[in-house]
Amino acid sequence: MTFSIPGDRIYSQSHEWALVDSNIALIGITDFAQDELGDIVFLELPTVGDILIKEQIFGLVESIKAVSDLYAPLSGTVLEVNSTLETEPEQVNDDPYNTGWLLKIELKNLSEIETLLTAEEYGSQTS
Amino acid sequence: MTNFPSTQSPYTPHTPADVEAMLLDLGLESIEDLFDIPPSIQFPDSFKIPPRSEHEIKTELKEIFDKNLPLVEFLGHGYYSHYIPSLVDHISDRSEFLTSYTQYQPEISQGFLQVLFEYQSLIVELTGLEIANSSMYDFATSIGEAALLSGRISPTRTKILVPDILRSERLSVLKNYTSNSGFKIESYPTRDSNTDIEKLENLFSDDVSMIYIESPNSHGALEESIKEISDIAHASGSLCCLGTDPLALSILEKPSSLGVDIVVGDASVLGLPNAYGMGVGLFACRSEYLRKVPGRLVGITKDATNRRAYTLTLQTREQHIRRERATSNICTNQAWVALRTAIHAAYLGPHGLIDLAKQCIELPLELSSKLNTIEGVHAPLHPRHYFREFVVRTDKTATEVVQALEAKGYAVSSIGDHELLICITDTNASHLDAFVDAFKEVNS
Amino acid sequence: MSNSPPRYDQAKWTSQSVYEPLLSEKNMTEVSLDDVPLPSNLKRNSLTLPSLSEPELARHYTRLSQMTYGVDSGPYLLGSCTMKYNPKFTEDVAVLPGCSIHPDRAPHTIQGTLEILYALQEHLATIGGMDAVTLQPPAGAAGEFTGILIIKAFHESNDDFSRNEIIIPESAHGTNPASAALGGYKTIEIPSNEQGTVNIDALQAALSENTAALMLTNPNTLGLFELEIELIASMVHEAGGLLYYDGANLNALLGRSRPRDMGFDIMHYNVHKTFATPHGGGGPGAGPVGVVSKLESFLPAPIVIKTKSGFDLSTPENTIGKVHGFYGNWLCLVKALAYILRLGDSGLLDASAKAVLNANYLGSKIQYEIPFRPFYHEFVASSGDQDAAEVAKRLLDYGVHPPTTKWPLIVPQALLVEPTESENKSTLDQIAASFNAVLIEDQSTLKSAPNSTASARIDQTAAARFPILSWHALDPSL
Repeated sequence: MTFSIPGDRIYSQSHEWALVDSNIALIGITDFAQDELGDIVFLELPTVGDILIKEQIFGLVESIKAVSDLYAPLSGTVLEVNSTLETEPEQVNDDPYNTGWLLKIELKNLSEIETLLTAEEYGSQTS
Repeated sequence: MTNFPSTQSPYTPHTPADVEAMLLDLGLESIEDLFDIPPSIQFPDSFKIPPRSEHEIKTELKEIFDKNLPLVEFLGHGYYSHYIPSLVDHISDRSEFLTSYTQYQPEISQGFLQVLFEYQSLIVELTGLEIANSSMYDFATSIGEAALLSGRISPTRTKILVPDILRSERLSVLKNYTSNSGFKIESYPTRDSNTDIEKLENLFSDDVSMIYIESPNSHGALEESIKEISDIAHASGSLCCLGTDPLALSILEKPSSLGVDIVVGDASVLGLPNAYGMGVGLFACRSEYLRKVPGRLVGITKDATNRRAYTLTLQTREQHIRRERATSNICTNQAWVALRTAIHAAYLGPHGLIDLAKQCIELPLELSSKLNTIEGVHAPLHPRHYFREFVVRTDKTATEVVQALEAKGYAVSSIGDHELLICITDTNASHLDAFVDAFKEVNS
Repeated sequence: MSNSPPRYDQAKWTSQSVYEPLLSEKNMTEVSLDDVPLPSNLKRNSLTLPSLSEPELARHYTRLSQMTYGVDSGPYLLGSCTMKYNPKFTEDVAVLPGCSIHPDRAPHTIQGTLEILYALQEHLATIGGMDAVTLQPPAGAAGEFTGILIIKAFHESNDDFSRNEIIIPESAHGTNPASAALGGYKTIEIPSNEQGTVNIDALQAALSENTAALMLTNPNTLGLFELEIELIASMVHEAGGLLYYDGANLNALLGRSRPRDMGFDIMHYNVHKTFATPHGGGGPGAGPVGVVSKLESFLPAPIVIKTKSGFDLSTPENTIGKVHGFYGNWLCLVKALAYILRLGDSGLLDASAKAVLNANYLGSKIQYEIPFRPFYHEFVASSGDQDAAEVAKRLLDYGVHPPTTKWPLIVPQALLVEPTESENKSTLDQIAASFNAVLIEDQSTLKSAPNSTASARIDQTAAARFPILSWHALDPSL
């Protein structure tokens, strides 16, 4: 099974992705992660204004067979939360990189970006 | 009588020929070859428990049970029973229900799942709260689970308030459930068998997670200020939890309308006879706590033919998936008792439940007023509305009265030096007048 | 008689979009409370519930029972659940006059009840090799939690407050870490070794002055006997910890080895597993806890003691208090005693013999791979390329209640099978034939299963995404 790993993003070892645009990042979970979880039924996400600290838990994602913590790939302040996931959590399964995005944050420390994996590095890790 | 050696369990169906054939297939000489327990930890002795026949055991146990004094029980104090219609036994004893287990394979368990869904719905109707689980162990442990739920909802708060008249057994269970999660239990005063509202406000701070109240309470009295109590609790950001039972709820104002956030109790007042304290824990709460709720939940869905079907749902909260982060460690619960409760409630229907609940008010009224005519006896101790039981004060010591009543064939409990708790329901109502006579003799 | 699997068709009623309608769809009745003698501010306005006659209810529930499957229906293979036959005479014992007693009865007035409880305490202690037993915990998980509290109290009584860790194998049942967490402990999980048993090196690395206890079951959840249990016990004791036995798998050892002799300090029994009380669709059960003498004073209160004049209730000196509002699940305890008396020594020994024989025989006939051996009363097969959960659905069509699936995690696509001693040879042959029939079926057959149960495949996702947990949620007009 080959998983989608878009080249325009960077990845954490705990299967989150970040799409960085200057000091703003869009965050979500990878195709591999959503496949592992199975049908997602619920997400617990922070609210606008909350602070994320890199590698700390910021929420959780629940499927019918598992509950998984979400780890912040980067530190920052939450600007936006994907509210459609409240009624359509399946977006994360169907389109984890686009309509299934989780958060938009304002980055606190741009140097953290270098610590994340490129698409190739993440790909070899999950194969 | 059988083809089986007498050294065999009566419930292993193997003939000697079966065993021989199975061992042959396995290439073994004897069953013992399958065990490789180190000799140092083998048990070579006997338990010295001789096997007995069904008949012998029934006879022996009946003789043992006959050693119990056949007292007429006027006992309650948080554990009650009512007449159980025969339908309950005959349905719940059907072996598909009795010998099944948790419905991990819903397709083959639709029947039991539906009964549990109907049980949940019964509790939702009675409490007005949106979520009811399909059972916990008993009243006391349900209080513990409610406290833990309040802790998950407000993780920074550590205090649980409980009434000073709370049964000590419940307090002990609550402490065990909560002490290792950083909680402190504090009691608040009751006055004249109801919560002392005036003293309550001072006890609240932003450290209180939950206040626990009971109605009917340990004195059999209905709590008259539930709305005021929940208002006080909510004003300081605390939750309000009510302990009660489904029969009382059949006539009491819905807890949800009174600001109650969690309801716990013992549902086995319906469905289970006196069973030396065995019950079924009732648990209901508001919908916003859904993902933090303990216990099994049965939900509705569809099957592949697009028909309505039932299944255990939101199992990721539970121990078999979430392990140390589960909302509870509960696995086996009291499902079969909940089944009996559901059947009993369905049998009574709304008319029957209300009639039976009315008796729980009328009988104590009748008994207490008759007892009150006796000199040296004051009943009920305080002017409240009583459900099933009430407190009686006697000039003689409670110990003396209890002992004397026992000699006359009655069991009552004492809750103070001169205070007794007397419980009367449809199960002992026929003894009412004789009991009054005995009480009079004992107190003269 | 050929070894082809039987056909199973579960009884059901179907009306258009439902199977059996809900009671709420039969005659919901709203009743007012005008003539209830309470002030209006204390009572509800009305009560709305189904109102049905006895014949209608009898039919409703009978139909529902037909859409349920128990041990009496057919083989029930859930691993570590010990779904053995529930003797019917124990039901009759539970309704003997004198059995129905209020818990507040004074001890001297219920000498019969206390004698029964005392007998069960004694027999369980003997069977486990323990010095004292409490019957109070109302389930296995409750027994584990009780054990955790006793362990904590013991260490604290020795002024040992640093022990905040409980070691648990990765393959342990979920109630173990959940109960440890309830007791405020941190759980340290250790992996098994290549043989599937406790990894001694990992255990050594995990043991420290922070170790309160190690929780184990033996045989473990792969059905393997922990041959190094004495070494494990000495390692744990040397580190100052206690050794806890999860009694879920005791059925394999009845009469042959006792947890105490292996070095366990404290254990729980599952009466609904080993001692054949009915599982009741999810309970009630009971989880009595047995301890060695140094832990006896910490037992929950009260325990039953024998006195010169009979029996009494006694509060252990350093009791942890209560874990149930009263005395536990009394009816289950009575049934367990009756079972023990019926079997006696020879019957208990035979139970473990046939439990292990049956598992091994079945394991030899099933063609799925069983990676970990030699096993006792249960084994873990792997469904390989087939999804274990799908295999389970297809087994339902053959009238076999499936094993536990996808656990323990050490075996991919795990099927944890425990036939118990209650099955005869021809049923075991049929079970094997069912497994072997599924083994060669294609994916679309598995995906469309089950076809002969009351309902077809259930949509779990819809249930979790839009939880509907009462008929009120289904029909907001109610």
